[in-house]
Amino acid sequence: MSLLRSIAGGLRSLFRKERVEGELDEELCGFLEMAAEEKMKEGMSRKDALRAVRLERGSLEVSKEIVRSGSWESFVETCWQDLRFATRSLRKSPGFTAAVVLTLALGIGANTAIFTLIDAVMLRSLPVANPRQFYRLGDNNSCCVMVGTQEGGSFVLYSYALYENLRDHTPEFSGLAAFEPWTSDLSVRRNGSAAEPYKGEFVSANYFNTLGVRAFAGRLLAPPDDSASAPRVAVMNYHTWQQRFGLDPAVIGSTLNINGVTCAIAGVTPPGFYGDTLRSDPPDFWLPLAADPEKWRLPNAAVEWLYLVGRLKSGFAPEPVQARLTVELKEWLSSHREVIPDRDRKDIPRQYIRLTPAAGGVEKLRTDYETGLHLLVTLSALLLLIACANIANLLLARGSANRSQMAVRLALGAPRHRLIRQMLTESGLLALMGGAAGLYVAYAGTRTILLLAFRGASYVPIDARPSLPVLGFSILLSLLTGMVFGVLPAWTASQSDPLDAVRGAGRSTGDRASVLQKSLVVAQVAFSIALLIAAGLLTQSLRNLEGQHFGFVTDGRLIVNVAPSLSGYTPDKLVGLYQRLEERMPQVPGVLSASLSWYSPLGGNNADERVYIQGKTPDYRWTAPSWDRVGPHYFETIGTRLLRGRVIEERDRPGGLNVAVINETFARRFFPNEDPIGQHFGMTDVSHSGDYEIVGIVEDAKYQDTRGPAYATFFLPLLQTPPGESFRGWVGAIELQVAGKPENLEPAVRKALADADPNLPVLNMMSFDEQVARNFNQERLIARLTELFGTLALILACIGLYGVTAYGVAQRTNEIGIRMALGADRGSVLVLVLRAALAQLGLGLAIGIPAALTGGHLLAHQLYGVKSYDPAILGAAALVLSASALFAASVPARRATRVDPIVALRYE
Amino acid sequence: MADRPSDLVQGTLDMLILKTLALEPMHGYGIAVRLEQMSKGVFRLNAGSLFVAFQRLQRDGLISSEWKATENSRRAKYYALTDQGRKRLNSETREWGRQVAAIARILEAS
Repeated sequence: MSLLRSIAGGLRSLFRKERVEGELDEELCGFLEMAAEEKMKEGMSRKDALRAVRLERGSLEVSKEIVRSGSWESFVETCWQDLRFATRSLRKSPGFTAAVVLTLALGIGANTAIFTLIDAVMLRSLPVANPRQFYRLGDNNSCCVMVGTQEGGSFVLYSYALYENLRDHTPEFSGLAAFEPWTSDLSVRRNGSAAEPYKGEFVSANYFNTLGVRAFAGRLLAPPDDSASAPRVAVMNYHTWQQRFGLDPAVIGSTLNINGVTCAIAGVTPPGFYGDTLRSDPPDFWLPLAADPEKWRLPNAAVEWLYLVGRLKSGFAPEPVQARLTVELKEWLSSHREVIPDRDRKDIPRQYIRLTPAAGGVEKLRTDYETGLHLLVTLSALLLLIACANIANLLLARGSANRSQMAVRLALGAPRHRLIRQMLTESGLLALMGGAAGLYVAYAGTRTILLLAFRGASYVPIDARPSLPVLGFSILLSLLTGMVFGVLPAWTASQSDPLDAVRGAGRSTGDRASVLQKSLVVAQVAFSIALLIAAGLLTQSLRNLEGQHFGFVTDGRLIVNVAPSLSGYTPDKLVGLYQRLEERMPQVPGVLSASLSWYSPLGGNNADERVYIQGKTPDYRWTAPSWDRVGPHYFETIGTRLLRGRVIEERDRPGGLNVAVINETFARRFFPNEDPIGQHFGMTDVSHSGDYEIVGIVEDAKYQDTRGPAYATFFLPLLQTPPGESFRGWVGAIELQVAGKPENLEPAVRKALADADPNLPVLNMMSFDEQVARNFNQERLIARLTELFGTLALILACIGLYGVTAYGVAQRTNEIGIRMALGADRGSVLVLVLRAALAQLGLGLAIGIPAALTGGHLLAHQLYGVKSYDPAILGAAALVLSASALFAASVPARRATRVDPIVALRYE
Repeated sequence: MADRPSDLVQGTLDMLILKTLALEPMHGYGIAVRLEQMSKGVFRLNAGSLFVAFQRLQRDGLISSEWKATENSRRAKYYALTDQGRKRLNSETREWGRQVAAIARILEAS
């Protein structure tokens, strides 16, 4: 009650300040008047009476101040005053403010961004009920299809038969789910429209029950869906429903054509659910294992291709269950010896199952990016430390510049605690501004890193919103730094006798910035030159990689990846399909030429096969050259030059002469001193060595490895298969040479493909440039991150140098004044100040460049076409750093030259 | 001579003001004079501490205020005890008596 009244009273005097002040004024005046009248009655003159009253009772102003400070609202008011004062004084020194806010923003932002990623990738659990009960059967990420015993004895991949056995004989699990380790490309058509690419995952029907996920709409998979005769159903990801189907409720229960099969959409998963593995482009659809288009896998007990995750019933520890599973595994393997190849049987006793906690799901990203993330954490923690040190420097510089001002205020009677509070307000305000800017940097940083790390991904289920605990921690740390180093100068100033300070005692000559401060700047310079050099090398290496001559031309080319096998094509139907595609594609307006192939260069696929040359005895050089199947116009479409003979043409059909085109490396390796044209070779065994006649030689082109030389490669026509050979190599890629931007042609190409065959699953479509660029994702990520951190370090080092130099100038203002009064010109003052900065810069470079050279040695194997000591890059990095650092130091140095000797010496 | 409120036992100023107002509403200077008279000049209060106490007591709802004319026909703010203030005065007086008696016993024990 009284608290409320106190608040009400306080608010009243805050908001009706003038009236309350007026009343107090009148009351106090009355009080003093009455006291004075009393004295006058005793015979004093009015003047003497008033004076006596002031002495006895306190003066009006002092009394008013006492009464005001007796209430809480006065605290609010002085805070408000401090805040306004702080805003004013910060606005008066925009350089300082910008430097501090920038430092804080970068320090806080970088850390928050990195820890947001760490949190998402390494710490967060699957968005399902009780994730701690999940255990994965297996302790590594072996992929994808295996036979026999497994590497090191640790079982990770399971056949469906083994899965069923474990599921039915391990009662400690309330559920045991199986799923593919990868996501499959799906080709989905809605009501007869053209096929669109989606991602799918084939899972056991108890998958959602085991994970404890409930349908957002409709239903999820249930055990009956696993039977081969069940009607085909699929479950849609909420994100897909939202992004691609506009949350249309009519989709649930309707049918889609998935890989040529009609499928009912049973339901939608809850928002935020992305499956069992955190990865870019999570499944759009979950389908029962029975719908797996690769029908040979499910019924074959020998094929190991599934990951298992189980939910332990509460009260069961993983260790005994793990032992029991191992026993079950060995029993099953021993009783199914026929599925284990002879060579592996002796290893059966050494097989085991390890349960690993799977609260975070299958930890693919964690494994893939762990070292990278650790590196980032180290770098960003270092940045935060540097940022804090810089803030300390900047605040110390400012504090000492403000010392005389503070002394004056002390001398005028300002209480010490008010001065400190005012400094705290200023630091707090700075930290707040830095924090706000840091929030933005964190958000942008997380998004940038995600974009770099998952180039080409259409969706990454990682929230870029900053992790609050980390943001809080960073802001707190910088706030503390600000507080400590903001208050320190106020504290020391208030400890000394105000008169001394006003007189100017304690001013100094010589550079008083401490050794610690300077060595910090030296370390920053060294750190940033090393990072800049690394960034330069990695960027140049990336540029070399991307700009090299691959043996084909990427400009104005579009690659379409298709998978006819998914929709049930059989080899005998391919002739018609190929013909329709070869006829239809060149008719699309803008397409200059079109071709088909098994796979396209640098698209992630490569096939190799041992060959037998007619008339030669096999030797080691014959092992496994690469091979591809290509149609007519292939080489001209992708821009690979023909060197001799002819390319594969329309006439190279089944029934015609079986021909092959080889590349230069193939020719050099197998026919070192003879003409390959007209020679014969074959696959499988020596009896086939006459199968193909070499009709042409093309230039070398890189299909798989971007760094090494091109592989020896031979090209066969699309459909030619000599008698006795089994057919391999369905068309997987369509190459188009187009006029204009390749991306613009996508809709027309999709339409043409649907015309040629509406059921043809189209997996994806991208420019040749993009396909090649995706080969360098890792390199690009590392190069961009190093550039990013190099720039951050450069900025921080400059701010650090600025801070220390500004501090030195502030300390030496009097000295500079004296020097100038004694005749020093501006130039010599400039030199005086810059000399110190140059010394720190030079020392930093002297440490940083050798360190970068040593580090570059370690980088050498990652570099392509650039030496780790590349003088141009070393020089450029040193130049950039020196120029920026000198600019930063010149700001306070120029201020020093503007010191007015009269002003500086006025206190003398 | 204790002439500064800080020399008063903490919290006694409030009690003394309440006691002064127990008889009739008074203005600030009147209260100061009355306190001086009653203490035979021991407590001479300066305006600042007195008015801080008024503000505090008023916010606690122990006294209320009203602008009125004085006997010398000047305008002054008169403070009066509220019911709550009267209760507080009674309880504080009792407590004070208890404490003084206790302290006296301690000091007299030899």
